[in-house]
Amino acid sequence: MLFQIAWRNIWRNKSRSLVVISSIIIGVWAGIFILSFSWGMYKNNIDETVFKQLSHIQIHHPTFIEENDSKFTISNIDTIVGQLQADNRIASISSRVISTGMISSPTTASGVKIYGIDPLSEVRQIALDESVREGAYFNSGKQNEILIGEKLSKKLKIKLKSKVVLTFTNVQSELVSGAFRVGGIYRSKNISLDEVNVYVQQDHLRELLELKPSESNEIAILVKDEELLDAVKSYSRTVVSKGEIEDWKELSPELGMIIESFNMYTYILTGIILLALTFGIINTMLMSVLERIRELGMLMAIGLNKRKIFLMIMLETFYLTLIGSPLGLLIGWLTVMLLGKIGINISMFSEGLASYGFSSMIYPALDSQNYFIIASMCFLTALLSAIYPAYKALQLNPSEAIRKI
Amino acid sequence: MAKTIIDAHNLSKTYNKKIVPVKAVQNVHIHIEEGEFVALVGPSGSGKSTLLNMIGGLDEPTSGTVIIDGVEITKLPENKLIDFRLHNIGFVFQSFNLIPVLTAKENVGFVLQLQKMSKEEREKRVLDLLHQVGLEDKINSRPGELSGGQQQRVAVARALASIPKIVLADEPTANLDSKSAGNLLDIMAKLNKEEKITFLFSTHDVRVIKKARRVITLVDGKVDSDVQQIPK
Repeated sequence: MLFQIAWRNIWRNKSRSLVVISSIIIGVWAGIFILSFSWGMYKNNIDETVFKQLSHIQIHHPTFIEENDSKFTISNIDTIVGQLQADNRIASISSRVISTGMISSPTTASGVKIYGIDPLSEVRQIALDESVREGAYFNSGKQNEILIGEKLSKKLKIKLKSKVVLTFTNVQSELVSGAFRVGGIYRSKNISLDEVNVYVQQDHLRELLELKPSESNEIAILVKDEELLDAVKSYSRTVVSKGEIEDWKELSPELGMIIESFNMYTYILTGIILLALTFGIINTMLMSVLERIRELGMLMAIGLNKRKIFLMIMLETFYLTLIGSPLGLLIGWLTVMLLGKIGINISMFSEGLASYGFSSMIYPALDSQNYFIIASMCFLTALLSAIYPAYKALQLNPSEAIRKI
Repeated sequence: MAKTIIDAHNLSKTYNKKIVPVKAVQNVHIHIEEGEFVALVGPSGSGKSTLLNMIGGLDEPTSGTVIIDGVEITKLPENKLIDFRLHNIGFVFQSFNLIPVLTAKENVGFVLQLQKMSKEEREKRVLDLLHQVGLEDKINSRPGELSGGQQQRVAVARALASIPKIVLADEPTANLDSKSAGNLLDIMAKLNKEEKITFLFSTHDVRVIKKARRVITLVDGKVDSDVQQIPK
């Protein structure tokens, strides 16, 4: 009957109970929304980084990353690429020749990282062709075609078909220059990289650098399934025994930091929501207890022990949570499902976010484990919040409580 | 010779001991035998409710002992005292104090459920009691749907449900009109006679006092008189 009394008690003051239920619904929903939004945001960022920039794995000469000098190459590139390509865990692979240098326009100059690419491979690897906003993606058939970022083009005050000069040192440490014509202007989600990265034909850059045809500076690998990452890394080590093999987390530690800070931000925000929920429930349940002092005194007088009084008040909160949590979960799930499909346009902040590599369209996403964690946290918060009001009820002296008006 | 059911010995209660001490009950000795129908009378503030609360184990005396049916309840730890009250003492309060979310039937049955009585037995006992207090047609009504007199009759039925040794009623007719009060007193007297349950009730209602077979008068927390009378 205690369960029955507790259930009926919550409907004695419908509006108050609905306020608590609504608070729980909003708490669960807000927790789900914030987590899914944040996860959507960094999942987008991870995908952007992996599929549009780094790939899952990169292989370099061990000294290349430290010295950033084109003379540190991986030899027998065709054999290595062929061997890796034969592995069915690998989705795509591409090799790159890389140099750093200067790009000069008639008006100004800027430091750049020059990627010598095989245009066809990079379509599969980083979908570079999709980022082209003006001009075309290496379709002129000319060796001296260059693809530059929109931001860099503005900085250099150049347009499509403009002539630029790249200056860098070859493997003999001699200064070399090459004239290029802008064949395309691209814009990626990471504006800061658009200002630095330029793409040219791999063979042409190789010639200018005086590298052998079998030499490259970088091999980029996309795996079919992220879970195969470690296995493919191990396999790559057997193929390129002298290469430095790194995955995207090692290549982009700043991404880890951003994710970490987002995690912290998410937990703080969820904590604030739960704290607000805690105070809401404490306040409401305390009101409910203080309103029933005489009744609680009577229950103690007629033989309901304190353990049962405590249980009754906890049950009332339990029921409220039992109604609120699933509704919050349902509304949260529907929100994530809907917004996960149509996305949230945060273009008014995208200028700032894009410089960190974030897209202006966020597609909230959340795995089932997180739904469970949020619901459990809200459930636990609600029950913990009820402890104080229940404890207050236990402090009542039946004879004094009965006399309360 | 009937056995002593209530033995309050040298009972005192002082409130606000540290600030301005108020001696609500002072050195009271009361012996009540099984089956008695006793009125505890006196002006407001004479200590009637305090004495009843101490006898019922709802309030702790400053000094003295209370023995109910041979058990010194003033020495019982809280949980055992609650359990003792559940099985031995029925309470009727001035302002009815029913559980508002339960029907008359559920209110009466609640105590029996706490005593873990089987459903069939409970049902039988509850219906019998509600019949005895004349509310067999109101078993499914909630307190809010009952008049004051009807609520108090449900409270009496609830107090008697567990077949207690004693029923303590604190001004049970104070919130009732004269007809309902008389009706309630008749029911209490009938149950006292038929079920041999000891009744101790506080009142300053003359009509109620007339129904009692023994009247204990309290003045300033002390027993002023203790007389037997023929109920009218």
